[in-house]
Order: sequence, then C-alpha cells, then structure tokens
Amino acid sequence: MFQNRTEALALALPAALFAALVFLLPVVILLSEGFHIDGSWTLSAYTGFFSQSLNRTVFLRTFKLGLEVTAVSAVIGYAAAFAIVNLPPKGKGRMIGLVTLPLMISPVARTYAWIVILGRTGIVNQAIQGLGLSDSPLRLLFTETAVFIGLLQLFLPLMILSLISALENMPKDAIPAARVLGANWFQVFWKVILPLTREGLVVGGTLVFTGSLTAYITPAVLGGSKVLMLETLLYQQVSVANDFVAASVIAFMLIVMSFAANILLKRLATARNKR
Amino acid sequence: MTSRILSPLVLGLLLIFLIGPFFIIIAASLSAGDTLAFPPQGLSLRWVFKVFTIDSFRDSFAMSMLLAVGGTLAALVLGIPAAYALSRYKLPGAETIRTIVSLPIIVPGIIVGLALLRYLVVPFGFNITLALFFAHTALVLPYAVRVVSASLNNLRSDIEEAAVLLGSSRSGAFFRVVMPNIRGGILAAFILGFVTSFNQVPVSLFLSGPGVRTLPIDMLGYMETTYDPSIAALSALLAFLSIGIVFLAERFLGFSRYV
Amino acid sequence: MSDTYLQLDKLTLAYGDTVAVKDLDLSIKKGELVALLGPSGCGKTTTMRSIAGLLNPASGRITLDGADITRVSANKRNVGLVFQSYALFPHLTVYENVAFGLRLKGISGQDLDARVTAGIKSVGLASFAARKPGELSGGQQQRVALARSMVMEPKVLLLDEPLSNLDARLRLEMRAELQRVQKETGVTMIFVTHDQIEALALADRIVVMLDGGIEQIGTPEEIYNKPVSAFVADFVGFENVFALENGKLATSNSLVELSAPVPQAAKGLAWRPRMVILGSGPFQGTVRGTSFAGNVREYLLDTPLGPIKAEVDAGEPSHTIGSTLAFDLPLGAAAPLSRYR
Repeated sequence: MFQNRTEALALALPAALFAALVFLLPVVILLSEGFHIDGSWTLSAYTGFFSQSLNRTVFLRTFKLGLEVTAVSAVIGYAAAFAIVNLPPKGKGRMIGLVTLPLMISPVARTYAWIVILGRTGIVNQAIQGLGLSDSPLRLLFTETAVFIGLLQLFLPLMILSLISALENMPKDAIPAARVLGANWFQVFWKVILPLTREGLVVGGTLVFTGSLTAYITPAVLGGSKVLMLETLLYQQVSVANDFVAASVIAFMLIVMSFAANILLKRLATARNKR
Repeated sequence: MTSRILSPLVLGLLLIFLIGPFFIIIAASLSAGDTLAFPPQGLSLRWVFKVFTIDSFRDSFAMSMLLAVGGTLAALVLGIPAAYALSRYKLPGAETIRTIVSLPIIVPGIIVGLALLRYLVVPFGFNITLALFFAHTALVLPYAVRVVSASLNNLRSDIEEAAVLLGSSRSGAFFRVVMPNIRGGILAAFILGFVTSFNQVPVSLFLSGPGVRTLPIDMLGYMETTYDPSIAALSALLAFLSIGIVFLAERFLGFSRYV
Repeated sequence: MSDTYLQLDKLTLAYGDTVAVKDLDLSIKKGELVALLGPSGCGKTTTMRSIAGLLNPASGRITLDGADITRVSANKRNVGLVFQSYALFPHLTVYENVAFGLRLKGISGQDLDARVTAGIKSVGLASFAARKPGELSGGQQQRVALARSMVMEPKVLLLDEPLSNLDARLRLEMRAELQRVQKETGVTMIFVTHDQIEALALADRIVVMLDGGIEQIGTPEEIYNKPVSAFVADFVGFENVFALENGKLATSNSLVELSAPVPQAAKGLAWRPRMVILGSGPFQGTVRGTSFAGNVREYLLDTPLGPIKAEVDAGEPSHTIGSTLAFDLPLGAAAPLSRYR
C-alpha cells in the first residue's frame, strides 16, 4: 500500500520546497555575496575582513569564549550529571526537570537576570562593597567575563542532559569493577568514565560550542558594543555600517561552523546505532 | 563517602546558578522603587501592572502570539504529510528531504532574517509580517517533522491497511485511524514549536519595522533606554507562561515522551 | 473450471526490483478452505496481500467471482483480512472496531447495531463490547479482528498466520472457531502459514510454496502421503529423503543399490522415520544419538547412506549410543518423488 513513489513525493515536497525557497535560497544568495564582488569571484572580501584587527579580535574572542564555555561546562557537567544519575528515581526526575526548566524560558529573560546581578548596583557589587573589598562599584557588565557567565548559564543544561544520557548508558558495574582493581577516583574518571561517556561529551560539547558561537542575545545584552561577538558584529555591520559583504563573510563562517558541528553529531549518532 | 556531602553541595550550587537568577528577577520585578535593584526596595506589584499598560508591549506580545500560533500551525500543515511520507514510504531522496527540512536548526537564525530582508522585503516590498511568518514557519518545521515522525514510527502501519480493506479510502484511513493515534505527538510538536517561536530572537532581529516587532525584540529595545523593573516583570511573566505551558503539557500529555 | 471462485493467472509480484512470486497459477473454489504453506520468503504472504489489493501485480490477473479485480483498489474488493498482529484500531472500542467497515458503507442505526452485536456475539465476546483492544488478551483481539472482517460478509477471508502466535490450547480453540465460521457462513477462506500441522489440520486443500512458486497442490492426505518433491517431503516430515540416479539411491559419495527395483518415474525416494526398520536389513549404521519422546523413541544413525532418522515404539528394546546395528529402508514403505528439486 505504500509503494507509490509519486504519492510519497507529493506529500513530502511542499515542506521541502518551502524550506528550500524560504531558507536555503536566500541564504545561498547571501553567501554568494561574500564571494562575488563587482562581477567576479574572489576571496578579497575574506582577506579584507581579516585584515582589520577589530574583526580578527571578534573572531578570536568568539572562538575563545566558545572553547572556555565548553570546557567549563564539561567539568561542571560531569560533576552535576554524576550527582544526578546517582539520585533515587524520584529525585532524579525532579532534578532533570529543574535542569531542563531554564531551556524553556526566553533567553532574554535568562540573560536579563545577570544585569541585575552584575550591574553597578547589583548583588555582586553590593556584596563586594559591603565586604569592603572595593570602594567603588566594579565594572562587571560589558566584559568578556559577563558574556562567559551568561553563555555558561544558557548552555550548561544541554551539557548536563547530554552527559546524564551518556552516564546512564554506561555499564553499571564498570566503576565498582575499577575501584575493586585499585583505581582511585581520578583514575576512575580518566580511564573508565571518560572513555565510556566520550560520545555524550562530544554531543554536549558540540551543542554548547555551536550555541556559544552563534549566540546573539547574551553577547548583545551582557557584552554590548564593547565585547562584540560574531553575531553582534554581524548585526552591527548591517544596521550601522550597511556592509553586507562583511555580513556575508561572517554569515559564511557561522554556517560552516554550525554545519561542521552537525555533521560531527550525525556521524556519532550513526556510529552509535551501528553498534 | 564524600559524595554524601559533595553531591548535595554540587547540586545545590548548580540549582542556584541555573535557577537563582530567575528568582532574582521575580524579586526585582516586585520592587516598589523606581530603578532596577536587588534586593528590591519594598514590595509592590506596580511594575507588573505597568507592563500591561505599555502599548508597544501589548502590540508586540500579540505579534509574537500570532507568529507562534500561526507559524506552528503552518509548520504542522507542511510537516505532517512530510513526516508521513518519510515514515511510511520508501522515498527516493528521503535523506535529502530530511536534511533540507532540518536546515533551519542548523543555519543560525540571524542569517535567515537578514537574507529574507535583503532579497524579499527590500527589493520586492514584501510585507515584513509575512516574511516573519515564513521565517517562523521554517524555524518550527524541523521540530514538527521530527516529533510527528517519531509518533508515526511508533504506530503500526497495518491498521491503515486494515481500514482500507474495510472500505476506507487512503485519506479517510489517515484521518480516521492515524490521526487519532498520533494526536499526542502532534500536540507535543505544537507546544514545542510554540515555545521555540515565541522565544526566538535572531530570526526576528532584522525583520522588524514600525508596528512589526516580536516581544523579545521589543524588550531588547526597551532595555537599551530604560532601566526600570518593567523588563524584569515582563521577563518573569513570560517565564511563568513558558513554565506553565510545559508543566501542563507534561501533566496532561506526558510531554517528555515525545521529545 | 466452472466452479472456480478465485483465480490467479500467471501472477508475478515484485517489491521494487526483487521478484517475490513468479507466474503463479491458482484456482480456488467457492467455500474452500485453502492453506498457503511454506517457509518464510516463499511468497505466500505476498500472494495473500496481492489478493487483498495491498500489492499491485507486476503482471498477471486476479479474477474473483467472475470479475477481474487486478486493478481494483483494496477498499473496493470486499476481501477480508485478519492480520497477524490483528491490527485492531487502538483508539476504538471493540464495538466501534467491528462497526468500522459497516459505518463506511453507510449502515447506521438499528441495522448497524443488530449486525455489530451479532458479530461480536458470534465470536463469544458479547460482554467485551465496550472495551478497548489494549484491555484484551491476544486470543480475544484475534476474535475481534475476525468479527470485524466477517460482519462485512467478504467474498474471500484471508488470514495471515492465524495460529502462530497462540499457545497450544488457544490454538485448538481458534482452529475450532475458524472451522465453525467456515461451516456456518460458507465463506471462501485462505490462510497463510509456515506450520504444516496447522495446514494439515484445517485445510481442504494445501498449496505448498517455495521461492515464489508452487511446489505442490493437494488435499492434506495427498500432501502428507504423496509428496512430489524432496522439499515437500522434507516439509511434511519425511526425514530420510534421497535422490535417485539410474535406479540407485544417490548418497553424498556413492550410488547404493536397493533390494528391489524402484518405480519407473521416481526421481527420488523418501522414508518417514517410522518406516525405518531397525535390527535387520542390508545396511549397517552406528547410533549417534537417541531421545525418548513419550510413546516413541527416536534414533539418529550414522550410516554409509548419510544420517538416517528412525523412530520405534518406546516399548521396543533400546539401542545405546555407539552401538552398531543393521537397518533397512523397505521399498514398499517409501514415498516415490516425481522430482527431486
């Protein structure tokens, strides 16, 4: 009954065509603007882009923050995931729910909270001044640290959930077996947990890294124009400088990074299913 | 063992880090003072009420709602047949179609908004709201296809064959026998799509204009000029809305099963 | 034949490029209970699905009650199908499941209620009408599936492995149920199975299939006692099957003369384990294995003819593993095969 290929195509094509026309086509045209200047195909837009030190700074900063957020979320993620996985079923369910909760809240709201916390009259400054550590309020907002914290809070749940899944799929007796053979906790982590949860780590890491690279709201609110990241730079290039070529260059880089991450994730998923 | 102290400590700190800010916003929004501060200077609901009186918030809220509901419905109208085709048939080029439909998850939203602005809105005078609508539909489409596919894969296809043999047409079989059994998946896809669209910022960044603004964009604009607790109040309200929807979904639907 | 009800002519069925059934010819009379018997992959289920209209033939013709239904869509053929998984609609009650097809025909009100209630009652599930499939046992679900098809008064009722999923006791009950339905309604029934015992017990005629074609068609007695090929012989329990070359038994390394001349047209010979004579005879064998099966004892012998399976009454003196003994394959007890392959 499901042999008719024409039927199948008729059902699937509207969605595919819609996505292709609304999404794919405009994006492809935009990207071509970065390669096609004044009628000829050239990489001059790219060389031009990177010749400006501001752009290089933004590019490197975005990468650096991405890596930092990923690394820190991995460390915290493992600790948190391990603690959660060992909870009794009810508590575990509740914790997972609580960790997932922030993902449902608008990023604007989640980022905004940090203004209250890190602002001149925010909690942190109040505490610092109250404890006498400084006479005047510290500038905590519009710094890389602020963006880092914001991104970390935004993406940490993704890492934790990914690691929970990986830890649950680990053979239950692997850790006690290693302990009985004499391993201390550090060795248990390095030689048993890490190799066995490697895939979950890569999945979580890819989600966090790509998310950080392509974040807009957090860098916009917590970094402003002092701490530009790739997407806020893109916005600026379009709305202020009207430089669509630069925008195309940035867009291309963002897409390449996102695609690379997704291909990696897909490879891992199929490798896991083949086992 | 040390984990008896360490574990609750780690989890406690984690929760404070992840959810603490949310409570701070709630507290800040209840401030009686004129500026954004924590701890709040006195308690009052005036900022919460103020939010409802700001015209641009009301308008952009309506816009966001419209896009979320309309976009998700459109995504389902496109996505359900596609999911059906992918799940039931041996489709030539199935992988390609899946990839194309999943693109919106992979391509950063800001790029799409920009591209639509530049090639559709500006040159052709294409209506911005319509462009926004298309963009949001495309954004939700991958989720619609994925969640509905999962539901379809869990439903045996022989009940459709049974229905046909009892005299039903193919489309009749779909509506009488398939839809009632994937209702949960469709609802879950709708909720997921709604929340995704409502909270979306990058796609809507460039597709804004006079009278055309989604709520998050409006909030961002407001934040740049005014420092009163209204944004905190609005954020808190929106957060409650999202949490409420998901909570109800989980309670009456077992939402987490579908995603 | 003038009383042919369902006719398959040179039917070829394929999935994409893979041919499942090739040039199949089959005639079924009205009111017959026919079994399509064979191992998985032989094409029996594919043939059944094409009769139902769920698969379009690559070539060939299907005629039902005088009309060519080859290109008629599945929802217009009035053919009933009880699926192996029963395929009940999980969101509908038993009543609504059974009423489904009738409603589609436009039947409603008292007429509908009378028919549905009668149908449910006839399979003994009157008190289950308001339940949903999820609340029923496997056997009960199957009976609902049967009622659902039967209330439509189909021209042909197809059943896919109707007894395979049932335990021994339910199997007997379901067998009786199917026979009752057939007797009461006279409906033409075709069922698909890989189990020869099912086929032998239920069918008026058995169609043995292999590799997309028919090996043999016959009554259960014919199939059981007079298999035409080595495959059919093996399928119905002749465990000692040999090809014949120049009137001699062909074993893996030699040709063995038999005590009497073999039938002219025979290309092979087959013996049931019961027919093997142990203790005397022209051949020698060593007992490799033995098992006690209640009223009989089975023996596996290593012999120059290859492995031989024998069966004797449990009361007979037993032979130990490793002992050698003489045995015979009496020609009179052999089933002659008209072809080997």
